Amino acid sequence: MAAALPLSARPSRRFAASDALLGWALLAPIVAVMLSLVFIPLGVTLVDSLYRVDPMRAGQPFIGLRHYVDLLTDATVRTGWANTFALVVICVVLETVGGIAAALLLDRIRTGRMWLLAAVIVPWALPPVVNAIVWLWIYNPSYGLLNNILQAMGLIGERVVWFNDRTTALFLVAIVHVWRMLPLTAIIVLAALQSVPEELYEAARLDGAGPLRSFTTITLPLIAGALGIAMTQSTVFAFNLFDEAWILAGASLDTRTVLIQVYMSAFQQLHFSYGMALSVLLMLASLAVSLFYVLRVYRETRID
Amino acid sequence: MRRSLLLRTLPAAALALLGLAWQPALADDAKPYAGQTISVLLPPWGTLPKALTDRFTAKTGIKVELQSLGWDDIHAKILTSMVAGTAPADVTEVDWSWVGQFAAAGWYQPLDKVVDTAVLADTPAAKIFTAGGKLIAMPYNNDFRILIVNREHLKQAGIDTLPKTPDEVLAAARAIKQKGIARYPLALPLSATEGTSTAWYLLTKAFGGDLFDADMKPTFTDPNSAGYKALAFEIDALKEGLIDPAATGLTDVQMQQLFTDGKVSIDLAGWAGNPAVYDDKAKSKVAGQIATGMMPGTGGKSRTLGLPEALGIPATAEHKEAAQAFIAWWAQKDTQADVYAALGDLPPRLSALKALNEQGKLTGGDTLLAQAGTVEPLFAGGTPDWYPQFSSTVSTSINQAAKGQMTVAEAIAAIAEGAKEAMEP
Repeated sequence: MAAALPLSARPSRRFAASDALLGWALLAPIVAVMLSLVFIPLGVTLVDSLYRVDPMRAGQPFIGLRHYVDLLTDATVRTGWANTFALVVICVVLETVGGIAAALLLDRIRTGRMWLLAAVIVPWALPPVVNAIVWLWIYNPSYGLLNNILQAMGLIGERVVWFNDRTTALFLVAIVHVWRMLPLTAIIVLAALQSVPEELYEAARLDGAGPLRSFTTITLPLIAGALGIAMTQSTVFAFNLFDEAWILAGASLDTRTVLIQVYMSAFQQLHFSYGMALSVLLMLASLAVSLFYVLRVYRETRID
Repeated sequence: MRRSLLLRTLPAAALALLGLAWQPALADDAKPYAGQTISVLLPPWGTLPKALTDRFTAKTGIKVELQSLGWDDIHAKILTSMVAGTAPADVTEVDWSWVGQFAAAGWYQPLDKVVDTAVLADTPAAKIFTAGGKLIAMPYNNDFRILIVNREHLKQAGIDTLPKTPDEVLAAARAIKQKGIARYPLALPLSATEGTSTAWYLLTKAFGGDLFDADMKPTFTDPNSAGYKALAFEIDALKEGLIDPAATGLTDVQMQQLFTDGKVSIDLAGWAGNPAVYDDKAKSKVAGQIATGMMPGTGGKSRTLGLPEALGIPATAEHKEAAQAFIAWWAQKDTQADVYAALGDLPPRLSALKALNEQGKLTGGDTLLAQAGTVEPLFAGGTPDWYPQFSSTVSTSINQAAKGQMTVAEAIAAIAEGAKEAMEP
């Protein structure tokens, strides 16, 4: 009997070892992809940002943190940061609020939801450039739909050149981005809503809870995880906003985001490592903000 | 005896062979690169129709794969390809404003020995593509700026002669506006794009000045300087309602569209190739109504700016010799005349320009020929590698001034500061 124990243990260890091997084998492709497409380029970018990499100048001397110091004093970059943060705030708020509202509505619809869902995700499925060009026509001061509608409603007299005002321009760029990204938030939240047990709402109703109280005490805590994911993707995409701002207003300082500045520094002015340093800062800012409020949302809305 | 004859003959034969190698033969019986396919990357206005490339293929046996991309996209593609050590194409667009960057990076193959010296002498714009004594690209169009007006609009406003000074331009625009012929008569881009910068450079010359002195110090900061007056001219015209407020979001190409639609009357920074487009019934609503004139200037002198585009061969190109043959073919007078007929690209060779004018095929030909003699480069010593950064500051500052976010003085100060930063090593 004493000798039988190790015998029975041996196959289970073997199975465990083969399970582990299988696990690693399944992980290998994604590890390889992440290493080659994310972590190695990220490492190279980090290292190169400490050198002067500029094809117009001979050599690539080590310059330490000089680019990072220069970036702090660069007025154009500071404007880019201000624009980016403004866009992040507008986009994340509108996408989250709008996404939850759209998901709640979709959740209530029983017939034809499939078709409605298909229609909702169209803006998200379209290439961002196409979206931006459509909105460029809408905002056009000469023949744009927005001016036509507002004039027809008697809200404006003269046609407005929307992008001549910085605040309006930023808001309009954000609207185009929200239009594209809101469906994704809605779909993520809708998936979470459908997993909330109906009995909880019935119990709350019996206890006299109204719709608002049910939403804050049942819905919100139970979709917190999904909401965290949705807000993270909203934040990351808003930090990386490029196409909409570039197509609607080009290099205009009023709507120039940090990512546009990265493009201009690296690919128009050929200051590659300067652009790399700025992209590293952008990545850090995006990570920090995402982490901050995702943790906060999770902590405040979780049910232990 | 026979040996000495052989010794004397051999070097001559070798030289002759070498000459043939450098000058790609285009004769029907010599097709050394037949069967090769070259890729050619150009903007829409340089994308040849198939009939023309077929003619080149028939002559040389080289097939041409044309790729058409937006001007900005071509720049980005060249940069990313060259940094990655690959070729964006065998032949690419090289804009005058990229010369400093590309020459400093050593990305383009010198073409001095590819193009005949007589052809070079006949192509004044080639100097703009020469950096460090080497020709890095061969011009394929002859873009310089002229005055183009809607003659009918001027006539309806009671103006019989073309404006010759900036003040006369303003007076004409005011008259057209007052009579309600065009709401915004003056076409000048004010967006944060390259076309806005080049319009300001042109107006600086029109006001009799230059951007920098011989030591590359800005000469536009004094309120009495030409550069300062040029920017004040633009902003004042905008405030007076002579320029469309939407110009803050319009590129030069979009402004030209307004001209062809008959919505503006005076194209103050008109491209030399545009009269042909404006006068084409298929492309323009104002065909038959246009007139061309010398760039208005102060002190009785007309000055203009050369902003040509050229064909270059990246150092990483796969089919360099076949690419050289293509460039040599495009540099021929007949080819340039055909390209003008097909695309409106003004020939960079003066002899081709004259021949077209003599045949009556050049719209606004006399003006173009007269103005061609006054063409100046923006930078006499060649476009510097810091130009794109400087130009970006220029267009951004003008755009902000046009939106009322900066005064003219502040915009000029920002441009001067931008120039200083761009020049820093």
